[in-house]
Amino acid sequence: MFSQNGLSLDQAPPLSVVFRFFFLGSLFGIVAGVLIFLYQTEIFDASSTAALTLTHVFTLGVMLSFMFASLFQMLPVISGVKLTSPVKRANLLLYPFTLGVITLLLGFNFSTIDWFFPLSGLLLGGSLFAIIIPMLLKLFKIENHSASSKGMSVALLFLGFVVLFALYLLAALSGYIEGSYYTQIKMAHYSFGLFGWIAVLIISISFQVIEMFYVTPAYPELISRYLPWGLFSLLLLSSVLALFYPLLWNLTELLLIAILTLYALLTLKRLTQRKRPLTDATVWFWRIGLSSLIISMLSIGMTLLTDIVFFKPLSYIFFASFALSIVFAMFYKIVPFLTWFHLNSQGYFTAPMMHEVIHPKTAKKHLYIHLATIITFCLSLLFAPLIFLAGTLTILSFGWLSYQIIHAHLLYKKTQKTGEKFEMGNMG
Amino acid sequence: MTKIDLDARELEHPKPLEISMKILHNLDDASYLYMVHRKNPVPLLDFAKGLDLQTVCKEDAQHTWHILISPNQDIDLQTYLSPEAFGV
Repeated sequence: MFSQNGLSLDQAPPLSVVFRFFFLGSLFGIVAGVLIFLYQTEIFDASSTAALTLTHVFTLGVMLSFMFASLFQMLPVISGVKLTSPVKRANLLLYPFTLGVITLLLGFNFSTIDWFFPLSGLLLGGSLFAIIIPMLLKLFKIENHSASSKGMSVALLFLGFVVLFALYLLAALSGYIEGSYYTQIKMAHYSFGLFGWIAVLIISISFQVIEMFYVTPAYPELISRYLPWGLFSLLLLSSVLALFYPLLWNLTELLLIAILTLYALLTLKRLTQRKRPLTDATVWFWRIGLSSLIISMLSIGMTLLTDIVFFKPLSYIFFASFALSIVFAMFYKIVPFLTWFHLNSQGYFTAPMMHEVIHPKTAKKHLYIHLATIITFCLSLLFAPLIFLAGTLTILSFGWLSYQIIHAHLLYKKTQKTGEKFEMGNMG
Repeated sequence: MTKIDLDARELEHPKPLEISMKILHNLDDASYLYMVHRKNPVPLLDFAKGLDLQTVCKEDAQHTWHILISPNQDIDLQTYLSPEAFGV
C-alpha cells in the first residue's frame, strides 16, 4: 500500500488477518472504558492497581493489537517481507495473546491467585516471541532497507526487550526469582515500551506515510536514517548504566523529551507543506497525536522540575492520546483502502468505493468523539465525576471503531456474494 | 488512439490507484491511459497485467514515472511516450 515498490497483489495479506486484530483492539478499548467506570480517578495514580491494569489494557490490548494489524499489512509492503501462512500465524498469535492479556489483568487484580502471572507470562511470551522472531529474522535479511523498514526492525527489537523485561517482572512477582533488579527492570520495561516500541514504530511508519498519504517533502535523511537507532542506543545504554546509576534516567528522560518534541514539531511542519492542502479527519488525527506528544513530553519535563502533581497524569493522558490518535489516523486510511483493494483485485467491478466503506464524515464524527474524550479526561483531573463521561466516551470511541470494522467486513462479504466480476485474465 | 491523461503527481495516496483503476475498466482498443506519477505504481501495473492489458512504465530524469496502459495488444505503446519521458 505504501512503498516505493507498492503492494503487489500476491503480497497482500488476507483481509481477515488485518481486520481481526483491529477488531480485537477495539474490543479491548471498550473493556478499557468499562474499567474506567470501575476504577474512576484512581487510574491517575501510577502506583495503583487501577493504573497498572488500565495501562496494560491500552498498551497491550489496544495498541499492540492495532499495531500487529498494521504490521501484518505493512511488512510485506514496506519491506517486501512475506510471512508464510499469515492466517495460521495470526491465529497462533491472536488466541494465546488475548488469553495472556486477560490472565495478566486478572493477575494484577487478584494477587492471591498465584497461577495468573506464570500463565500470562507463558501465553504472552510464547505468542509474542513466536511472531517477533520470524518478523525480525525476515527484516534482518533485507538487503536494501528503507528508513521505515529499518525503523520497524528497531521497534520490533524494542518490543522483544519489553517482553523479556516483562517476563523478568512476572517471574519476580510469581516468586520464581528473587528480583533484585525489579525496580530498574520495571523502569526499562516502561521506557522501552512507551518510548521504544510505541514511539519508534509510529515514527518509522511516519517516514513512509506522511510523504505518501499527504504529499509532503520527505523527512531529512539525518532524521529518517538515525532517529530509530539513536533512540534504541540511548535507551539500551541508559538501561544498563541505570543498574549502577539509577538517577541517570532523569538525563535520559530530558534527552527523550528533546528528541520526541523535535520529531513532533518537524512532522507538524511537514503537514503544513502539503502540495494539496485538503484536510480530512486523518490529517487532524495526526495533528492531535503530534500535539499530544509535545504536551506529554513537556508534562514529563515539568514533573522533573516541579512537584505539581497535575503534570504526571497529564503526561499519561497525552501520551495515550498521541498513540491512539495516530492509530486512528492509520485505521481510517487502511480499512477503506484494503476493503476496496482486495475486492478490486478479485475483479469485482461493483466493489464499493473507499468513501463507501467508511465515509469521510464518519471519520470526522469519530474525530470529535476522540477530541471530547481527551478533553474530558483532562477535566476529570479537576472535577472527578467527569471521569464517568470520559469512560462513556472511551466506550463510544472504540464502539464506533468496532462498528466500522463490522460494516467493512459485511460490505466485503456482500460484494463477494452478490458482486459482478470482470473477466480477469490470468488473475486469481 | 484516444489518450486519457491522468496527472497523479500531487494526488494523495491511494487516490491515483482508485482513479486509474476506474479508468482501466472503461478503456477500449482505441484508447490508452497515460498517467504521470511520483512513484512506480506496482499495484496498478499488477492489476493491469491481470486484465491482460499492455503496459509501459518509464522513469524520467526528474524521477517522474510515465505509465501507459491499453487493452490493444497490436500497438507499440512505447511510441506513445511523451518527449518528457526521455528528458527532452
